[in-house]
Amino acid sequence: MREGDRLEFNNNVPIYLQVIERIKQDIVSGKLKPGEKMPSSREYSNELGINFNTVARVYKELEMEEIVFTKRGLGTFITESDMQIENLRYTMAKERITAFIDGMKQLGYTIKDMVEFIETENNHTEGNE
Amino acid sequence: MLNLIKYEFIRKYRLISIVLITALALNLLIMTRGPEGSVLFLTLSPFVLYILYFVDIIKMYSDDLNKKTGYMLFMTPSSGYRIISSKLIAAVIEGFGLLLIYFLFFALNGVYILVSLDETVDFSSIISNINKIFSGSLGYGFNIFHLFMLLLTILILIIAFITTIYTAITIRKSLFSEAKFGGLFSFIIFLLINWIVSTLSNGFYNFLSKVSPYYNSLDNIAGAGRFTPETLMMIFIPIIGFSIIQATALSWISGYLLEKKINL
Amino acid sequence: MNKLSILKINNLTKKYYNKTALENVTLDFEPGRIYGLLGPNGSGKTTFMKVVAGLHKQTSGSVLINNEDLSYKTKAYVSFMPTENYLYDSFKVVDILKFYNDMYDDFRYDYAVNLINAVNVSTSYKITNLSSGQTGKLKTVLALSRDADIYMLDEPLNGVDVLARDTILDIITKSHNENKIMIISTHLVSEIEKILDTVIFLSEGVVELFGDAEELRQERQLSVEGLYKEVFKNA
Repeated sequence: MREGDRLEFNNNVPIYLQVIERIKQDIVSGKLKPGEKMPSSREYSNELGINFNTVARVYKELEMEEIVFTKRGLGTFITESDMQIENLRYTMAKERITAFIDGMKQLGYTIKDMVEFIETENNHTEGNE
Repeated sequence: MLNLIKYEFIRKYRLISIVLITALALNLLIMTRGPEGSVLFLTLSPFVLYILYFVDIIKMYSDDLNKKTGYMLFMTPSSGYRIISSKLIAAVIEGFGLLLIYFLFFALNGVYILVSLDETVDFSSIISNINKIFSGSLGYGFNIFHLFMLLLTILILIIAFITTIYTAITIRKSLFSEAKFGGLFSFIIFLLINWIVSTLSNGFYNFLSKVSPYYNSLDNIAGAGRFTPETLMMIFIPIIGFSIIQATALSWISGYLLEKKINL
Repeated sequence: MNKLSILKINNLTKKYYNKTALENVTLDFEPGRIYGLLGPNGSGKTTFMKVVAGLHKQTSGSVLINNEDLSYKTKAYVSFMPTENYLYDSFKVVDILKFYNDMYDDFRYDYAVNLINAVNVSTSYKITNLSSGQTGKLKTVLALSRDADIYMLDEPLNGVDVLARDTILDIITKSHNENKIMIISTHLVSEIEKILDTVIFLSEGVVELFGDAEELRQERQLSVEGLYKEVFKNA
């Protein structure tokens, strides 16, 4: 199906968490559209090369977080709620920012330094485009 | 069951072809040396055939118990009784097949001998002789029925013998699966079984001679040195009876061990 | 869970003259799961599988398959792939397929042929001419082409080249469903762990560990392979 579905998994972290992360990323980046139908547990597990029980767990977790919903007999679908997706984007972004800030602080950067650094980098990239 | 037997022969197919082609080639080669060659071939080949037969029969069973290829058979949902029965039936069929092949070679060489001795091959007289055999008398009051009983006795004795071999192998592989020198062990068990069987059969025949008065005349026959049709039957029937019991009992033991005790 | 227990092992012990291969193994297998039977050489993995497959007889203890004691009949519910070369040498691939078709009611012949071709093995090849990778693929296909309740694969990746391993793992996951039990034994833990539901660590015939793979990853923050190395570092 799509490229990169068979990426290597990190065996040190629960696989179902990694699949959840990937799906959330795809939703936020727009690769997965609101209301889009997800493959069945079986199909998806074949695509990813993992156990269908793991995929079932993924869908269950995502459903509890209200990121996907199941229509009996029809399958599993991405939420259509824009608010839900925005929340997700925010939560994920916050995770990354927090990690970034912690990491940069460990290198001795202040917030001001970090902002400057980002702006400089941004100018460079725009200049190269 | 039919499937099991079928695959025994499919597995032997290559071996059988090689043996047949070699035998034919050898026969033709020997024939070039004249009719004496044919006679030589006909007298020696039974011995070779016997050896090949028994080696193959033993291999047919022990390979499946000792080699990993035995997993093919033993993973199938076949009971131990069915497995041992199919092996025995295959052994009998193979015996018949070899016998038939020998007869064909016999006919081939026979014709060759007659022709090279400048005897006219009088087919009509050969056929009428054969007809005589099948329709009635063989002389001295014997007829085709007695011939049949003789062959049946021989057949059942062979089956009982093969069963003894198979049971020895089964006992070794199930109860003594960790013993070293498995082949030697099997042979010792085989001798043991034979000893037990012959002790039992002696007891059986002694019992018979005490119970049935006319059985005593066996000694009379031995004395007179002559068989009559009636005495022949008296000899055959107990032998057949005892051998059937022997073969059945031993097969049952093998089947049971294959079911309950085998470690491959 | 109220599911019918397909495979129930109770105090299974297998003793040989000079060693104990399995000691009081008690395990309950649930349908729909893929179990990894992991442990070093000689830990009893193969013996376990051969007892369940009916090729070895237990010394004591019970094995219930679909609530029946082990017998020749339970062999119909179990599809075992031995690690050894057990195929008839003189046969061609197609002959082996026909054998399986004749001997097992649940063998799916056409499915097997398609799978064989898909893994680049021709049905006209002779068994003796197959490479170890092709033999490995063939054995796996044979075992998984049966529609059995229990599948046991003993070292399915052994002797198989890296490229073919993914193919085999693929076939395994595609053949699995919520009614079946798969038990896979292997040394190559890292390659197989992503498809495992439950892991069983076996050491010298004793069950050292039994747990859900994902839970173990979460609790111990280690891959199954990492955990394996920890548990067996002295082996």
